[in-house]
Amino acid sequence: MMRKLTLCFVLISAMLATSCASIGVQPWERDVLAREAMQLDANPAITGFHDHIYFSKEGSAGGRTYDGGGCGCN
Amino acid sequence: MNLLCATGANAQATPVRIDQQRIPDAQAPQNAYDEPANEPGVTVLDSAVLFYKEDGGRVQAIEPIVGVTVNKENGDVFSAKFTYDSLTGATPNGAAPATFEQTFVSPVGARGGDDDADGRTGASGGTIVTNPMTGQQVLEYTADANTLPLDPGFRDHRWALDLGYSTQLNSNLRASVGASVSKETDYRSFSGRAGLSQDFNNKNTTVSLGVNFEYDQSRPVFGIPDPLTEMNGLLKGPNDSKTVVSIVAGVTQVLSRNLLVQANYSYGSAKGYQTDPYKIISVVDAVSGDPLRSLYESRPRSRTRQSGYAAVKYAVGSWVSDLSFRYYDDNWGIKSITGEFSEHIPIGKRAYIEPSVRYYHQSDADFFSYFLLSDEVLPQFASADSRLDKFNAITAGLRGGVKLTNQLELYGMAEVYRQSKSGMLPQGPGAIAGQDLFAGVDAVSILTGLKYSF
Repeated sequence: MMRKLTLCFVLISAMLATSCASIGVQPWERDVLAREAMQLDANPAITGFHDHIYFSKEGSAGGRTYDGGGCGCN
Repeated sequence: MNLLCATGANAQATPVRIDQQRIPDAQAPQNAYDEPANEPGVTVLDSAVLFYKEDGGRVQAIEPIVGVTVNKENGDVFSAKFTYDSLTGATPNGAAPATFEQTFVSPVGARGGDDDADGRTGASGGTIVTNPMTGQQVLEYTADANTLPLDPGFRDHRWALDLGYSTQLNSNLRASVGASVSKETDYRSFSGRAGLSQDFNNKNTTVSLGVNFEYDQSRPVFGIPDPLTEMNGLLKGPNDSKTVVSIVAGVTQVLSRNLLVQANYSYGSAKGYQTDPYKIISVVDAVSGDPLRSLYESRPRSRTRQSGYAAVKYAVGSWVSDLSFRYYDDNWGIKSITGEFSEHIPIGKRAYIEPSVRYYHQSDADFFSYFLLSDEVLPQFASADSRLDKFNAITAGLRGGVKLTNQLELYGMAEVYRQSKSGMLPQGPGAIAGQDLFAGVDAVSILTGLKYSF
């Protein structure tokens, strides 16, 4: 399963990186994307709390960021 | 700190000025959260405090944080965040419930700092008992009949500092570095990270790669117990440590003016001590089901983890939908899926609310067991820690914020988190068959924070 995931990720990255500029927007069309509400991590404080709580109470880690927890809570 | 945030995720936020006149349907922002985020030259101070409380007298925590992010005019970003944790309460010790009262023993000074040497109950829970013959002191605590045994002395303080810096190497390449240190009474963690992100396709595509190295030291106040030895009040062995190396590779793609997708792959390898030195597992009688003794748990010294993550952000007017999915597995046998959805809803011109829901399911670790049987050979690894169990978890939350001024934001969050057993509990022998062995948590979190930009 993970080999397939890894292969998919590599293929998608390569495809997007080398595809023509028809996917996406022009620089002057970034108004919505630049909004505070559209940031991938709009509230780092809340994200940090979630990462800590879920790392402490569940058996998984990582995905959005690194796997390490940085505390003795798991 | 999120690597991709530290590198700026250039696919969405670039220093190029937006020419509103060239966008036929451009309009003035309807809501304060439609304004651009973290423009160059802006410094952001962020402080928040989290209150966390589990049901049933279990763990409670207060966690204040203070952070600063400096966005320089040249595109460099510097960040620093200080976190302080204070935890109290009780936590399951891993033992199985019994039809009679059970007594557990721990070395003195295992928890807290004000245990009373005269035999009265210390503030950390339990009773100090002195052996009249040897003079040895131990901490004893009991669990009522038919009740999940809890260690009442769970108490700790932690502080952590994280620093990050990112810079634009050229117009399409960004580099970032960072370091963290975390110290608590019985645990220390040090980590360093570095990453690169490269833009393609007129900055519509960003590919990122980051690596993190972590060194953790486990320093339980009574020492490290030998695995699967019987619980007692003696001081244990020397401290132990582990190292973790992890990588995250990510791609962010702008699909349209209001649609952004992200995909990450992360891999981590941890080697060294990964057992919880405070957790025990019961050996129960193979016929009666009564717990006979408690053994310190044992986990493998190697763990490799992988996860695939994907997220979508889609804006319709000032509303923004956020959907993400993660698949995880590791060589301990745990597999999990996580799905989250939230909807950012503008309120008036200066505020928003954001309801959210999260679903989580994990399988149990290969060596997880609620108890061991007295007539079986001891396994090499065994743990009854509920965090390694098979369970589901739901989080329902609501967050919101209001821009008190153009520079000052007040925000908050409230969430309910519930774990529930997935699948059937084992049909153990005798009395244990009637016990509720699942030790998952129900918890409430409340957070409030202030963000000031200048």
